[in-house]
Amino acid sequence: MIENALAQTAIQLILLALVILLIPASWRVVAGPTLPDRLAAVDLITTLLIGIIVMLALVEGTQVFVDMAIALAAFAFVGTISIARYISEGRVY
Amino acid sequence: MVQLLGVAALLFGLFFSAVGVIGVIRLPDVLTRLHASGKVAILGLFGLLLGAALLMPSSALRLLTLGLFVLLTSPVATHAIAASVYRRREIAQELAQEMAQDSAPAQESGFAGVNVTAVLTRSRIQDIIEAQERALRHRRPDAADKSDQQ
Repeated sequence: MIENALAQTAIQLILLALVILLIPASWRVVAGPTLPDRLAAVDLITTLLIGIIVMLALVEGTQVFVDMAIALAAFAFVGTISIARYISEGRVY
Repeated sequence: MVQLLGVAALLFGLFFSAVGVIGVIRLPDVLTRLHASGKVAILGLFGLLLGAALLMPSSALRLLTLGLFVLLTSPVATHAIAASVYRRREIAQELAQEMAQDSAPAQESGFAGVNVTAVLTRSRIQDIIEAQERALRHRRPDAADKSDQQ
C-alpha cells in the first residue's frame, strides 16, 4: 500500500480511467468492419487489461497480480499471433 | 519524490493509452488503427509499468521484466496483424485479375459480367477486402468439396 494519500487517490483515479477506456475498445471489437480490425481491438483490450491488473496490484498492494499480468501478456501474444496467422493463411499452422 | 515521479509516469502512460484508444476509434483505416494501438502497447503500457515500478519497489524487477517482454512481443503481434491485412489485399487483387481473365468470354454471353466489372472499377480498399473474403471462403478445401458435391 502507498501511504501518501494524494498518490493513493491518483492511482485509484488512473485505474478508473483505464477501466473506462475498455468501453470504446470493445466498441471497436463489435463494430470493426473487417476481421483484422477486431483482432487489433482484442489485442488492444488485452494490453489495457495488463495495465489494469498492474494498477490493481498498486491499489491493493498485492504483488501476485504482477505475475498474473505476466501470464496474461504471454498468452495474449500467442493468441494474437495464431489468430493473425489464421486470418492470413486460412489455417493456424 | 520517488512517488511523485511514479505518479507522473503513470499519468504519462494513461495519456498515451487514452490517445491510442481515441485513435483506434477515430482513424479511418485498418493500418492506421494498428499504428494507434501500437502506441498503447509501447508508450502507454510501458509508462504504466515504469510508474508502478517506481511506486512499488519490492516488485520492480518483475514489473520491468514484464515491460521488456511487452516491448519485445507487441511489435511482433502488430506486425503479424499488418501482414495478415497485406496478404488479404494481395489475394484480393489476384482474385480480381483471375475473375477479369475468366469473365472476358463470359461477358459476351452476359454471365456474371456486372459483378466483375464492379470489382474492377471500384478501387476502394473496403470493396477489395469484401471480395477477398469471398475468395478465402472459396479457397478453403471443405467449402470447395461441399460446392462440388452440390
